[in-house]
Amino acid sequence: MSLTLILFSGFIVILLFVLGWAAWQPRERSRLHADPCSLEQRGQPHTNYLPQIHQALAPEDYEFLLKRAPGKVQRRVRRERRSVVLAYLAALREDFQSLLRMARVIAVLSPQVIAVQEFERLRLTAQFAWRYELIRWKLLMGVAPMTQLDGLSDLVSGLSVRMEAALKELGERAAVAAELASSIDRRRLDVV
Amino acid sequence: MWAVNTATSVFLLVLLVLRKNYRKYPVFTFYIFVNLALSISLFTIYRRWGFHSIASWFFAWGMTAVVMCARALAVAELCRHILARYKGIWAFARRILLGSAGLVLLYSGVAARHQWRLALPSAERGLELAIAAVIVLLFVFTRYYEVRPNGTARSLAIGFCLYSCFRALNDTILERYLDDFGTLWSLLGMLAFFASLFLWCWALRKSQTEAATEEYLLPAGAYQILTPQINLRLRSLNEQLSKIWKQEVTRQ
Repeated sequence: MSLTLILFSGFIVILLFVLGWAAWQPRERSRLHADPCSLEQRGQPHTNYLPQIHQALAPEDYEFLLKRAPGKVQRRVRRERRSVVLAYLAALREDFQSLLRMARVIAVLSPQVIAVQEFERLRLTAQFAWRYELIRWKLLMGVAPMTQLDGLSDLVSGLSVRMEAALKELGERAAVAAELASSIDRRRLDVV
Repeated sequence: MWAVNTATSVFLLVLLVLRKNYRKYPVFTFYIFVNLALSISLFTIYRRWGFHSIASWFFAWGMTAVVMCARALAVAELCRHILARYKGIWAFARRILLGSAGLVLLYSGVAARHQWRLALPSAERGLELAIAAVIVLLFVFTRYYEVRPNGTARSLAIGFCLYSCFRALNDTILERYLDDFGTLWSLLGMLAFFASLFLWCWALRKSQTEAATEEYLLPAGAYQILTPQINLRLRSLNEQLSKIWKQEVTRQ
């Protein structure tokens, strides 16, 4: 088989594979309603449950169990704790994705987007996905420290708070702009 | 197969006119019309001057170039239909799509075997690959930004992409097995086109004349305020994740 044939056939196979992935639309995948109201439809962020997760992971409980409970119980507790942390990590990713979704809505609804910002977000998203998977596998293998998740939670939580503040500011500005526009229209009507 | 393709093209043109879809897809209608004209005129010319005459060869490839340009314009029209409602994204996507088409053409030029007698099939293959790459990227865009194209535009784009991929593959095989593959190359090309025609007829079976709804756009400054903040926080989050990983590796 010649090199040309391999180069072109390989490229076409890649194109078809990407086409299949990109054009496939699962039924449950909801449409992005390009509507500013959708920016406000985010539910309670999972980072709000951090205190409960802290309590579930408190080292005092574990030390107590080490002294009093048999090995079987300790193993069960360890397993259950790990599953709780994994669920929490998945929830954090949901929060992260929800924020990304918001960023996409903003991009879609903006009259102008900056290519550098879009590429930067794409790169960061890929990086996050890769690192998230690494940490998840470490947790699954039981080698990752659970307390390190605090930093991750704080960052996502901080991002939510700042985004909400920025959106509120944006809403206020939009209201002022709308009021200004309507007052100009009224003046025009008066003149006519 | 030629007769079947011609009949299907006529049917598609009639469908475009009857359902008034030519208003929404004028360039696509033009492409189908040019393709039909090529088909009929080639049949006439081959009958008059023969299949192996120089005049027939020049006419066939000249018309193929016109049809390919019409196809590229039809694909551009589809891209505009799908993304033009979102002004910012459309301006961004246009540059990416044009850039990627140029890169694919360059790749095709570099990867091809440079033989003078294969110059035209090679050029055609490059253009086909560029068209296919543009459509694939368009779908990647719609998926990334969660913009769902309407069913008709989606089917038309998939038809174009599959046809272009098949033509490019067919041209590549022709290049390798030039002497034995000529007749089969022609037949497979017509079969692929028939499949695309069938898909387009199905997609355009209903009227698509409803006007696209206007999207409500955010104020101009919103993007500039929010997006850098999001990216900054994402970067911090990634750095934090990186730290978690590095600490663990050091500990081990």
